[in-house]
Amino acid sequence: MIQFLQQLINGLSIGSVYALMAVGYSLVYSIMSFSNFAHGGVIMLGAYFGFFALTLLKLPFIPAFILACAGTTLLAILVERIAYKPLRERNAPFLYFIISAMGASILLENIVIATIGPTFRTYPPVIPRTPIQLGALAVGRLDLIMFFISAVCLTGLILFIEKTKMGKAIQAAAYNIKACALMGVNTDKIILIVFGLGGFLAGVAGVFFGMKYTVYPQIGNITTKSFIAAVFGGLGSLPGAVLGSVLLGTIETLVAGYLSSQFRDLIAFVILIGVLIFRPSGIMGKTTVDKA
Amino acid sequence: MDWFYIQGILMLAGINLIAVLGLSLLTGFTGLFSFGHAGFMAIGAYLGAFMTVSPTTSPAGLGLPFAVGVIAGGAGAGIVSYFIGRITLNLKGDYFCIATLGFGEAIRLILNNVQLFGGSRGWPGVPYKSTLPAIIIVDILAVIFLANLVRSRHGRNMIAVREEELAAQIAGINVFKYKMIALVVSAVYAGVAGVFFGHYMTFIQPKMFSMTKSTELTIIVIFGGLGSISGSVLGALLLTALPEILRAFEIWRLVFYGAAVILIMISRPKGLMGGMELTPAGLRKARNERKARILALKESKNGQNGEAGLG
Amino acid sequence: MADILEISRLTKRFGGLAAVNDVSFSVPEGGIFGLIGPNGAGKTTIFNLITGVYSLTEGDVRFRGKSISGLPPFKIADMGITRTFQNIRLFKNLTVFENVLTACHLGASYSIIDSVLRLPRFRKEEKALFKKAENLLSIMGLTERRDLVANNLPYGMQRRLEIVRALALDPTLLLLDEPAAGMNPDETEQLMRLIVRIRDEFKLSVLVIEHHMDLIMGICEQIVVLNFGIKLAEGCAADISKDPKVIEAYLGATEEV
Ligand SMILES: Nc1ncnc2c1ncn2[C@@H]1O[C@H](COP(=O)(O)OP(=O)(O)OP(=O)(O)O)[C@@H](O)[C@H]1O
Ligand SMILES: [Mg+2]
Repeated sequence: MIQFLQQLINGLSIGSVYALMAVGYSLVYSIMSFSNFAHGGVIMLGAYFGFFALTLLKLPFIPAFILACAGTTLLAILVERIAYKPLRERNAPFLYFIISAMGASILLENIVIATIGPTFRTYPPVIPRTPIQLGALAVGRLDLIMFFISAVCLTGLILFIEKTKMGKAIQAAAYNIKACALMGVNTDKIILIVFGLGGFLAGVAGVFFGMKYTVYPQIGNITTKSFIAAVFGGLGSLPGAVLGSVLLGTIETLVAGYLSSQFRDLIAFVILIGVLIFRPSGIMGKTTVDKA
Repeated sequence: MDWFYIQGILMLAGINLIAVLGLSLLTGFTGLFSFGHAGFMAIGAYLGAFMTVSPTTSPAGLGLPFAVGVIAGGAGAGIVSYFIGRITLNLKGDYFCIATLGFGEAIRLILNNVQLFGGSRGWPGVPYKSTLPAIIIVDILAVIFLANLVRSRHGRNMIAVREEELAAQIAGINVFKYKMIALVVSAVYAGVAGVFFGHYMTFIQPKMFSMTKSTELTIIVIFGGLGSISGSVLGALLLTALPEILRAFEIWRLVFYGAAVILIMISRPKGLMGGMELTPAGLRKARNERKARILALKESKNGQNGEAGLG
Repeated sequence: MADILEISRLTKRFGGLAAVNDVSFSVPEGGIFGLIGPNGAGKTTIFNLITGVYSLTEGDVRFRGKSISGLPPFKIADMGITRTFQNIRLFKNLTVFENVLTACHLGASYSIIDSVLRLPRFRKEEKALFKKAENLLSIMGLTERRDLVANNLPYGMQRRLEIVRALALDPTLLLLDEPAAGMNPDETEQLMRLIVRIRDEFKLSVLVIEHHMDLIMGICEQIVVLNFGIKLAEGCAADISKDPKVIEAYLGATEEV
């Protein structure tokens, strides 16, 4: 029982980081209906920004963290401007966006390999490794902080979308971006904000990921799993992305704990395939019928 | 550059071309996009190796002739793709891509865990059987098969699916069946390419067949121009040779590659050939289309024809 | 005259909305039958139900006495029902000729092996298909535009090409969804004559949706009026135009040009 709870807590904390990444995929999907595979590269750079802010600039943790998030926010917007905006203006089919995203992802990963090198780097020990004892449970401080900050960020995001005027405009754009454009809404600005938000959360996720594991150029591959979480929850739905991530994180940890850590990576894809077969719109996505 | 080096590049390009031609049918002619064809290459490479690797080494194979390996690799990939198609071909748009991505990665991760084939450490000792003439012959056969298929009612049905799925159905085309044919043919091509790849490298590892490889294949098809076989051929030759020639800049070449992909998407999305074929018949067709367009433009300017003036 | 198409108690619900609600009517063989009603009345939905694009919620569609509900669209097309679309759906990047040739496939039976090896059966059947496509183009006056990419055709011709493509399937029932949309009175007049000519020459029955009242009143022998998914009236042109319920439904609802 204790072991189960322990696994559950680990799963929740990793799931919450997945959620930070997954909402980035889902936000973009909800507005632009394509899977932004460059997001993984942005997350990876977030991890590097944080790492260098701590080691090279010798900043304290909080400023380093903020710097990393600012960096990824700008980077995400830059990717949009360079790789997607020209396609938007041309009304290109969704596939061109995906390929362009793949190109951006290859570009980001290899710029890092070429300039910084492919080596694994370990974050300095900002947060003590000693766990906190909660009764019989030992909870990692980092896990706790990760979970807490992710929850705050996600709540903030959902409040922003639900309560502010800008958030309402984003919702409207997600419902029908063409109609919004016709009604004179500045959709370019909405897209900018959406990428900025996704980029910011990518920074948070990247730093946590780097702290929990290590930093290396192929982190982006792991972010594929958060994309799967977004599909699991229903692409385009924010609560879905959060739910899918938490479930995926938990299932993964339980599988690794009870079956075999070898299956850990495979289970994500098994879930993905299962979802696509039985409910392609995911747990909370809306089903659409195309009109004849 | 010595001949051995050039020959190596040509062989790699020829092997890539087999897979690209298959993908060209699926993507360029039928309009389905896949991010998982490296998975079919992996199936081909591993099945092929299983047939040909000598039974005395470890991991052991069956020690059969190379031709058996080629057939088994192609057939195996085709059969797997059939079952994958059964469950994914009804998915719409983005979701089919995502599903192929999922299957491609799943195949790789499964191979990572199959110790019989060496798991993630890979499988050394695959015999060196891929020769340049053999590859060229397979390429030529692959082109002929594809070109003849595309220029038949079956090919036209696939193109109709790409152009307008609903209208294709209404025109009596069994959309699911033709998507399936395109998928299976493309998987067989990828499987055969995988066999040749394994028997060229003499060492295979699941890592070689990642999503990046799948993306590379799709990028080549788009670079060459959707719906153009000659475009796919040019694309495969250029895009395989280019990174190899750029080897001098080793670490920067993938940076260029990524940048080039974005550049192509935002500047010349129709690809090299833009659906045109570099054959006498293809050029004639392009000329006729241009003529017809100019004629129609003239007419609508003069406005003598009532209907032509409508807009 | 027997009925070629019988629609009985047809209902289609999208969530809570009944786009088509308990509609019944029959199209007589060889007739030109009109389907009218204000925007959103459910006309296109009925076409989608007949052709199998949507699955029906309740009711039945019978074609030549056999139920076709639940069949996939391509089988229904094989049986002889084809249609055009309200928002034109041509194979945009193909030429006029290729559009028609693609639809001509029903007469051919050669296999993939035949085509890959270019066997005699392939050559023979392919020749016949080409001939048939050329023939259709010349009957319909599109031969001059043979090599034009469909996307570059003038709008009115695109509508005409869609009809030719439908005819390539040798249908016995042709469904036309607002074929005159966007046409001026002259062109509408031409189109009317074309529809009648096609019916006579190809021996088909036609079911046509239109907002142009002149067209409907001019060529339809029988008309069904829909409103909010419900059948409002049925009868010949003269009866329909006098029916108070129909007049009421159309009052306020602006007639589309
Ligand atoms: N796929 C769908 N999902 C949900 N609602 C639909 C769908 N297709 C049609 N509807 C709804 O069904 C109703 C009838 O639509 P339909 O297209 O049949 O109208 P119509 O009579 O053809 O109108 P119009 O003259 O504008 O073409 C409309 O309210 C429409 O919004
Ligand atoms: Mg309609």
